[in-house]
Amino acid sequence: MSLASEAAVPTIALEGSRKSRSQLTRARIRWVIFGLILVFGVIAGRLVQLGSVVVETSIEGQTRDAITATRPPILDRNGLEMAVDIRVPSLFAEPRRIIDVEEAVTALRTVLPELDADWLRRRLTGDRGFVWVKRELTPAVADRIFQLGIPGLDFVTESKRFYPGGREASHILGAVNIDNQGIAGIEKNMDDRDVALLQELGLARDRALAPVSLSIDARVQHVMYSELLDTFTRYKAIAAAGVMVDVRTGEVLAMVSLPDFDPNNPASAFELYDGKKDQRFNRITSGIYELGSTFKTVTFAGAIDSGRVRLTDNFDARFGIRFGRFTIDDFHGKHRVLSTSEVYKYSSNIGTIRIMQAMGKDEFRAFLTKLGMDKPMQIELPERRNPVVPEKFSEIVAATASFGHGLSVSPLHMAKAMAAFVNDGMMVPVTLYKRDEAAARPLYEPVISPQTSAQIRYLMRLNAIDGSGSRMDREARGYRTGGKTGTAEKVVDGRYSSSKTLAVFASAFPLDDPQYAMVILVDEPQKETPQSGTTAGWNAGEVTGRIVKRVAPMLGIAPDFSEMLDQALVPASMARAPAPENRLGVPSL
Amino acid sequence: MIRTLNVILVCTSIAALVGVYGLKYAVEETASTKVELERLIDKQQADLSMLKADWAYLNQPSHVAPIVVRHEAALGLKPVRPEQFGRLDNLPMRKPAPDKAALDALFEALDSGIDPIEQLIIGASQ
Repeated sequence: MSLASEAAVPTIALEGSRKSRSQLTRARIRWVIFGLILVFGVIAGRLVQLGSVVVETSIEGQTRDAITATRPPILDRNGLEMAVDIRVPSLFAEPRRIIDVEEAVTALRTVLPELDADWLRRRLTGDRGFVWVKRELTPAVADRIFQLGIPGLDFVTESKRFYPGGREASHILGAVNIDNQGIAGIEKNMDDRDVALLQELGLARDRALAPVSLSIDARVQHVMYSELLDTFTRYKAIAAAGVMVDVRTGEVLAMVSLPDFDPNNPASAFELYDGKKDQRFNRITSGIYELGSTFKTVTFAGAIDSGRVRLTDNFDARFGIRFGRFTIDDFHGKHRVLSTSEVYKYSSNIGTIRIMQAMGKDEFRAFLTKLGMDKPMQIELPERRNPVVPEKFSEIVAATASFGHGLSVSPLHMAKAMAAFVNDGMMVPVTLYKRDEAAARPLYEPVISPQTSAQIRYLMRLNAIDGSGSRMDREARGYRTGGKTGTAEKVVDGRYSSSKTLAVFASAFPLDDPQYAMVILVDEPQKETPQSGTTAGWNAGEVTGRIVKRVAPMLGIAPDFSEMLDQALVPASMARAPAPENRLGVPSL
Repeated sequence: MIRTLNVILVCTSIAALVGVYGLKYAVEETASTKVELERLIDKQQADLSMLKADWAYLNQPSHVAPIVVRHEAALGLKPVRPEQFGRLDNLPMRKPAPDKAALDALFEALDSGIDPIEQLIIGASQ
């Protein structure tokens, strides 16, 4: 039917109807395409818009991750926490959401009265999205602010460093700033190693980092701290410091420097002490001193090790030694011929110079280099100072250096050398991180022979029994401690002053099986009682004795009063030729 | 045929609609529970960090030492002197075993009615 009608209609009409229909279809398709393009265009545009939006993740120029970044806990060698992170709320405001600034200021100041009203008003006005109001609040205060119900105020949980030990290990631990970045001490060292990188990558956030174990023993640290604090009342000292090192592993067990600061309040490091600036530095690593007669141990070790001086040799100490205009004399002069061990025991300057001269001044200087006395200390603390040792020794400089004047090293240099002298001559780098003997052994570096080491141990013990260390030995009976005193005159206005002295005691214990070396400094000590003296044996020596007495049982060293132990220290050469001064109780063999 | 299909489709759509609607609400609720839990964990972690810090503080020698000093008199505490340390081998050896024969003789004597000690006293008084 339709076919017939189509045939009947003129061709042109037929063509027109087809054309118009196909045109309609084409128009519809075009509309659909247009519609689709429109829809997809809108979607694409929205995508581009979303992609170009910068999400605000920073808080006043710092990434949120950095603010909530955590630090690994620091433990002492027995696992006691020395630094931990606590999570505390910090108050921030979004000024653009605050409706009534005046009301907010008044309400806030009821809880935080220490905030300045004008400062707060300026802070809360404006169109900023984020401002800190007060960081690191206690949870109780945060609760009270929350109760106020001020719109536009909120809290962020921040990590805050807390040092439960307070001041006791301040110079070791150092401090962190408000953004939890280390600014001093081990904290800074940890950042330089790897923590900073983790924080930067945002990996340190909200996750428990593996704790860091230090070599410090909190108990020993406490004993040293309390005994050194005691010197301020007992001897009216102006400063005191001490360090104890494990001679076999090089681990630092305790390191104290007074006056100190509170690591929980890092700004206290810059407070005046006794009206003076810059007194709170770490005297053990960043203080350098002329260590006086304690340095004689170094001279003796070098001279005996060179083979040119034996314990049985005699030295003429009858007259002072002249160098041009200067004459060097003894403090407690015996003014007679002294044997090597007497020179040590009586701390004779003349005898020590002769011993150094027997060794040779250039060889003596080379020995100091071997001990690392002229190089900065290798330790994990950023606070360090280079020692001052003349590059080349003239006759007089070598002479004064032999008894510890005219060159300045840090007390830690001395402790490290003492440790090597008693540890069979093996020098090991000191560290503040935990290390066992197996790990330390490959780092050993021989500086003197084991035979020399045995002779030095004998001399140190002899000095404790008979010489200037006897007051120390009376305190630490039974612990076989030995050491050398040093009373260095301080330089005041370019001259050595005899009234202002630095008392030093460098020791090691127990000498029959050396385990620990210690250096104690007491700055400008005065007489404890009118009867006592001001030389190092009276103050630094006694402090050493009291510390040994308290820490030895903690460190597993049993007291032993057997005289056999002391006799075993006497080297064979001395035992064969018993000299009259040999009062270690050697039977005439 | 088409009508039944339509009815089935409409029913499925309604069911799906109701399902999606319910799911959406369930998810919203789960999300809010999650946020709540996270906030709780956060708070508990913060509390825990405080307690840990407290514990560390209470264990510090610098905190314990003053307490010891305070109660020194009441508890009779004194620092240990070096003489007070000993070793196991310093302990005296156990006494040698008692004389068995003599004991047996004593018990036999007692059993037979003679008290040697009484005899001694009598002997002494005579």
